[in-house]
Amino acid sequence: MLTTPERIAFLLLALASLLLTLRGVRLIVRAIGRGYGRPSWGVFLRRVIPVSLDILLQRPIFRTRPLVSLLHAGVFFAFVFYGLVNVLDLLEGFNGYSTLHASGVASAYNLVADLLSVAALLGMLGLLLRRFGLRPFRFNRAVFLLPSVRFGISRDSAIVGGFILLHVGSRWAGQAVRIAESGRPDWSQPTASLLAALLGGLDAATLAVASHVTWWLALGLILAFLPYFPYSKHIHLFMAPLNLILREEKPLGRLEPPVGNGQVGAARLEELRWYQILDAYACIMCNRCQDVCPAHGTGRALSPAALEINKRYYLNRNLNSFAGGTASPPLLETATSRAAVWSCTTCGACVRICPVGNRPMLDLIDLRRHLVFAGDEIDPNLQTALESLSRYGNSFGKSARQRARWAKDLPFPVKDARKEPVEYLWFVGDFASFDPRMQENTKTVAQLFHQAGLDFGILYEDEWNSGNDVRRVGEEGLFELLVEHNLAALGKARFRAIVTTDPHSYNALRNEYSALGLDVPVYHYTELLAELLERGQLQPSKRLQAVATYHDPCYLGRYNRITAAPRRVIRALGLELREMPRHGENTYCCGAGGGQIWMDSGGQERPSEQRIREAIALGEDVRYFVVACPKDMAMYSDAVKTTGYEHRLTVIDVARLVAWATGLIELEREAAPVSQS
Amino acid sequence: MTLAVILKQVPDVVEELAIAPSGTDLDRDSVSYVVNEFDEHALEEALLLREATGEDVVVVGVDTTGELDQALYTALAKGAQRAVKLVGDFEGSWLSTRALAGLLAPVIRELSPRLVLTGVQAPDDLDGQLAPTLGALLDWPHTGVVVGTELADGVVRVRKELWGGIMLDLELATPAVLGIQAARATPRYVPVGRVRQAMRESTIEEVEVETPVESAPKLSRLRAPEAAGRAEMLTGSPSDVAERILEILRARGLY
Repeated sequence: MLTTPERIAFLLLALASLLLTLRGVRLIVRAIGRGYGRPSWGVFLRRVIPVSLDILLQRPIFRTRPLVSLLHAGVFFAFVFYGLVNVLDLLEGFNGYSTLHASGVASAYNLVADLLSVAALLGMLGLLLRRFGLRPFRFNRAVFLLPSVRFGISRDSAIVGGFILLHVGSRWAGQAVRIAESGRPDWSQPTASLLAALLGGLDAATLAVASHVTWWLALGLILAFLPYFPYSKHIHLFMAPLNLILREEKPLGRLEPPVGNGQVGAARLEELRWYQILDAYACIMCNRCQDVCPAHGTGRALSPAALEINKRYYLNRNLNSFAGGTASPPLLETATSRAAVWSCTTCGACVRICPVGNRPMLDLIDLRRHLVFAGDEIDPNLQTALESLSRYGNSFGKSARQRARWAKDLPFPVKDARKEPVEYLWFVGDFASFDPRMQENTKTVAQLFHQAGLDFGILYEDEWNSGNDVRRVGEEGLFELLVEHNLAALGKARFRAIVTTDPHSYNALRNEYSALGLDVPVYHYTELLAELLERGQLQPSKRLQAVATYHDPCYLGRYNRITAAPRRVIRALGLELREMPRHGENTYCCGAGGGQIWMDSGGQERPSEQRIREAIALGEDVRYFVVACPKDMAMYSDAVKTTGYEHRLTVIDVARLVAWATGLIELEREAAPVSQS
Repeated sequence: MTLAVILKQVPDVVEELAIAPSGTDLDRDSVSYVVNEFDEHALEEALLLREATGEDVVVVGVDTTGELDQALYTALAKGAQRAVKLVGDFEGSWLSTRALAGLLAPVIRELSPRLVLTGVQAPDDLDGQLAPTLGALLDWPHTGVVVGTELADGVVRVRKELWGGIMLDLELATPAVLGIQAARATPRYVPVGRVRQAMRESTIEEVEVETPVESAPKLSRLRAPEAAGRAEMLTGSPSDVAERILEILRARGLY
């Protein structure tokens, strides 16, 4: 029980604290409201229950780092339960209500509170030990950081960690004091009772003071912490669930068009969408996104974490003026750098891994849109590619009429889908059509389709680049131009479904074009091959006895979750599949996406080279590095040479393996370790 | 004050060129056009000058292809202020450089620019006659092979390239006519959205001109290049290839 002066003091402090906190929260709401668009209540109602369940089960957090996630779970469950604990403790302070030595439901409550207190203390100690001892924050030297960030991250972590330790620790110790005062252990609070045993020697007066002090440290501390709360990363405990709940259920592979009214992309914070500003408040600075980022992993200037943290620290320092409507400085001065913007591969790993539902990649694409539209200097190779794309519909600087030249070498004609109806319209893609290294694969795919009796055709010179990477480079106008051209071409053809070679075309046709009026099923060629093998339309006459690993393309495995089909093909051929640690939706980027294939990455080790080493580490006996994307074929054929593993590991398209098994083609050197049966 | 840039469209050699049955022209149906690459550099150099001095850039062209608008809108999207198109009864014909200069000179005189910039040469003007001819018709100083410019009071300082990488700095009284070999920077990228914006929001000024009386030599026949020699790809094992190389060298008396 508190004394009357204590009660009055608490109430006055609570009032002041709440008013200050409310002011901070209102500023944050206004700051987020400066972004474009508004959250949808429909989305909220649809998602609030399932997503809340996900969060209660801690599923977004357990996606990676199991041990750290366990520590977090301890703190999280304690926090949820402490909502009740704090209310009951307030009652105890004000009118003496106590569950000490109670029985029934109250004793169950005591037990849960007692155990969760220890879980939270251990969890928090573990997290602090990790942050300050074992795995401190590290960014590549090239990463742009606001001056306040470097020190700020540690300070904020220390304050939040310290608050939780002190708050929970005092409550726990307070219970021990009360148990000691009662003179006998309360077995519904086992850990507090153990602590109480240590306090046994203290006299009644000391214990009475300790009881008051611990109460104030547990509950009074909340009042002191609350006004800081909106400026701390701890606010993630409201903003992260909100971010997850309010996120619309649309594919990651479908980008929003620019906001309109003449603005293309975003140069400043207020030119982003509302949820991109919310991202900064949801971020808990765990750095998981940076761990999986291929750009950061190869020493480049991009850290998705730094982007969000910079945004947050800019807002923290300028919340009053920003919420009040003042124009903010360019994001390239407060959040990230040009070098970072241009090193994103749009692999989507940061978005997939983020436990609080952030999408830093979208900010980078909006910045690219702005830079391209504003005429900022772009990589000369990228410029050449874009100019070629707008003129010829391909990035190779070749006449559109040469697109289907590879088909001339086939012993059978490939149907022209513009002239006769076909079941499958094969959207071949730029690399598969024009790159001389890839044309053999393309012919093989055509031969397999032909062998299986598939009714297919192509668009010949009317197929243009799908624009997937053009859109991600930020050249929205060119993307629109390519889409218009392709939709017109597709409109001239009659077909039931589309099949693509390139996962990037697949993503564009499936997710972007469908939002712009295309309504047909889209398949990746690996899906078709799997089905043709299983239906017996393709019959392997030889079995491949070798160990293979398979690289999931980002736009197939992560973006569109097509991970089973290529594996079904590999296994159907008799190959033993050994997975790399990063596979399926957690695949690692080859470094070519988001237009990087047209840019100069600048001499560091490439993600593709790291990936080859990852495959090599699987064992001496892994013979094939199987790919299902023409760009992967290009990237890894290079990487296997530059890393010097050319004679150990063969990079090969899954279609080539099928064609060998069905007797269509001969593999020369590649076939060496494979025995026929 | 203004800077005039002359843009000319030429056949895109990425596409296969075919000769028309008449034998004296390309098959126009299969030709597509691009802006002469050196003219792109002339425009870029003008835009760089504009950024330094604030001059207006006017792009001028004679529409012999019926497709010049695209080139002019692109120039407007890149940052030119005005676009002037000369139209007349010559669509579908090739104008000689002299005829072209004759059509352009009065229009340019009327624009009274500080500087006229054009590409140093073009696929149909390999001698680089446009700048000198224009200079002569306008009676303005001129020079070619320019790789850098700087405007000063009443003069333009230009850097031009001589043989063997020797650079020459010149000063010409303005107005002057320059044949640009290369701009100081790579011609900039123009986003498609900007071109579409220019097509919506800008207008191209049209000037009717008389068809010039040709005094140039008459074209009698166009010929496709003949294959001079054939490359042979050597395949097989390294020793096979080496053997074959030796054979070839011996056959030619080189070994």
